[in-house]
Amino acid sequence: MAAPRPSSSRTPSSRLEGILADTDRIQELSDSDGEYEDMGTATQEEMANIAYLESVRIPIEDGLTTESSAVTEETLQAVLPFLESNPNDFPLNIFGLPQLQREKHINFLKHALGDYPRQFAMMDASRPWLLYWSLQGLTALGYDISEYRERVAHTFTLAQHPEGGYGGGYGQLPHLAATYAAVLSIVMVGGSEAYESINRKAMWRYLGQMKQPDGGFTMAPGGEEDIRGAFCALVVLSLLNIPIKLPPDAPARTHGLTSFLDNLGEWVSECQTYEGGISATPLNEAHGAYAFCGVGCLSIMGPPKEMLNKYLNMSTLIHWLSSRQCAPEGGYNGRTNKLVDGCYSHWVGGCWSIVEAATASTNICNRSALARYILSAAQAKKGGLIDKPGKKPDAYHSCYNLAGLSHAQHRYTYEAKVQEDLGGGDLDAPYYWKAQGDYDDEKVWGDTDIVNEVHPIFVIPFKAVHDCRRYFMEKEGF
Amino acid sequence: MPKYYHDDPAWSDIDPLPQDDGTLHPLAAIAYTEEYSEAMGYLRAVMAKNEFSERVLGLTEHIISMNPAHYTVWLYRAKTLSQINASLRDEIAWLNPTALKHLKNYQIWHHRQTIIDALDSPDGEADFIATMLEQDAKNYHVWSYRQWLVKRFGLFDDEEELRWTESMIESDVRNNSAWNHRWFLVVGGRDGQAIGEDVVAREIDYAKRAVRKAPQNQCPWNYLKGIVRHAQLPISTLKDFALEFADMRRPDDIYSSHALDLLADIYAEQESKEEAERALHLLATRFDPIRAHYWNYRKSLLEQAGTAA
Ligand SMILES: [Zn+2]
Repeated sequence: MAAPRPSSSRTPSSRLEGILADTDRIQELSDSDGEYEDMGTATQEEMANIAYLESVRIPIEDGLTTESSAVTEETLQAVLPFLESNPNDFPLNIFGLPQLQREKHINFLKHALGDYPRQFAMMDASRPWLLYWSLQGLTALGYDISEYRERVAHTFTLAQHPEGGYGGGYGQLPHLAATYAAVLSIVMVGGSEAYESINRKAMWRYLGQMKQPDGGFTMAPGGEEDIRGAFCALVVLSLLNIPIKLPPDAPARTHGLTSFLDNLGEWVSECQTYEGGISATPLNEAHGAYAFCGVGCLSIMGPPKEMLNKYLNMSTLIHWLSSRQCAPEGGYNGRTNKLVDGCYSHWVGGCWSIVEAATASTNICNRSALARYILSAAQAKKGGLIDKPGKKPDAYHSCYNLAGLSHAQHRYTYEAKVQEDLGGGDLDAPYYWKAQGDYDDEKVWGDTDIVNEVHPIFVIPFKAVHDCRRYFMEKEGF
Repeated sequence: MPKYYHDDPAWSDIDPLPQDDGTLHPLAAIAYTEEYSEAMGYLRAVMAKNEFSERVLGLTEHIISMNPAHYTVWLYRAKTLSQINASLRDEIAWLNPTALKHLKNYQIWHHRQTIIDALDSPDGEADFIATMLEQDAKNYHVWSYRQWLVKRFGLFDDEEELRWTESMIESDVRNNSAWNHRWFLVVGGRDGQAIGEDVVAREIDYAKRAVRKAPQNQCPWNYLKGIVRHAQLPISTLKDFALEFADMRRPDDIYSSHALDLLADIYAEQESKEEAERALHLLATRFDPIRAHYWNYRKSLLEQAGTAA
């Protein structure tokens, strides 16, 4: 057995190394301004940050080094300066952490909706995602996106396939990821013209082609089957109020299936692994993004309390989700022994409201540590949000860090009586969510750092969700 | 040298379908090169008339070289290969360097799966996968593809497969993808077939040895708990082992927060509520404080179990 080194202290970034000789000394130093001046390097905020980081560190480190532990350590050393100090020179909030750089992020995301030079041809199939991530990021930041309404509808009219669903652009085959991003973008800008640009009857037929006899969904005709497909399909079915009975020409009908929901809960259940997390397809490795798709899918099928407890082992799921939070970074990783990454602020962070609703508990996770990672380590100096320090900002990490910040700040609860006018139809479960105040017990954000509420299942604003569902509830037939 | 089609006599029968952006300027528009725009125009035209031919293979290869993340092109290429009975061995030979260049690409792996499925032979695939994992030992697509391969060709009892998986764990005991693959081989992929007592004992022993190498590594702990749960053994089977790493009477000598976590479950199962609470308290306050809310939630479950009993 390699000798473990209990209580060995993981070194913080080298600049501040000397200060962290032991925790008592930090206490002494922060109590005495004079001595602290003499250190010459650390501000009061930095001292507080260092003391905090020490308080959430796991005081056990194995002696054995492997590739995984080496890159984890390297990552920690890259992240720590941002958690301890303020290398980007952002203005600080009253908790001594960088303020949310709202204007910079808004500019970054508006830019992301603009033109791309030719080197970006490899994004040709992902343009619907660029729209969704940017628009969602902007709404989270409180920016009014109505100026984009016509161009959003126009962009997706070009990408809509005559046989239903959306592709990445004109002439591309329909794909469920593109369809998901397109529908959410259209729903976000809203308005009857945008809604009516969606060919719902063709969509129904297309989704019918994606449904598989085992219960899951493929992403494209002849494409891969994975849990993204199941989630994306249900999001579209529910928001657009499309019938849950399979269209007559759906191939799954020849295997005896009649509804989009047939075998689906069982299929999602098979994606839960021995670790408790959820994988892309049965028996792959548990992964944060697929976990969100899995719990999201079940929460559209019915109330989370009923569905999650029926199809998932909740104690192993919660154990696994909880293990995703990296210490002392506070952000999440996506799999066991992988690296912290800002996008999991949503993929894993977003599971919590749903899981908490399913267990009737509140605050099982550490929201303040997550918010700390996002504000301190996931904001790029010139705007946009990132995976981790050293990475470039992009619309994807901007969208999901901001959604993660929203999950950390706002309390979302599921109540069977919230939106009665929206209930009653098929797949009505997601309309019983409500934003109910903020988490302010251990908050580390100032008032100007608060992002807007985000619907916990659809990850767009609540109002956009409700307007869309109401519109299609009132519409008879296709 | 860019390749164009309008002056190529082999394509003179095709009227390309250019991208029409209409009157409004679309969002996130890409300023395509002439070469890319033209090739896509020809692709849309052949797709519209459902042409499957040798020249379509050349066209799709050309577009993939400019944009490997284009699912439409990959899907149409796969359909073309099957329609014209093209050589699938040649396809794999072409695919290998392309895959190495674009490691994180979904489409390439799905395409490979389609081709190997049609070839009906896994020959050479294990070696290719091993090469890919040398570059990125936790690549999700590569591992998922390997699992598909094992299932498709029934390689569960192939001793080489298990040996290779062990070598992956051996080279990095923290590689969770390799642990997951072991689970898949030994337990998961067998459609609910029970595993024998000897296999259960072997797996428990294997995971215990891995824990001893690095007790704060969560992979083998998760694996151990999974095996015990799957075999429907009481979790207290692991009590003595957990105590080796976390004897609560000597909190200064605790070598693994995961051992404490497991002990909390064991004490809960044994209805030793106070000891379970003590383990959870140590986790929340000292050995894993970032998850204090979670450990306290676990404590609250003990209360509920107490009142229910
Ligand atoms: Zn990421």
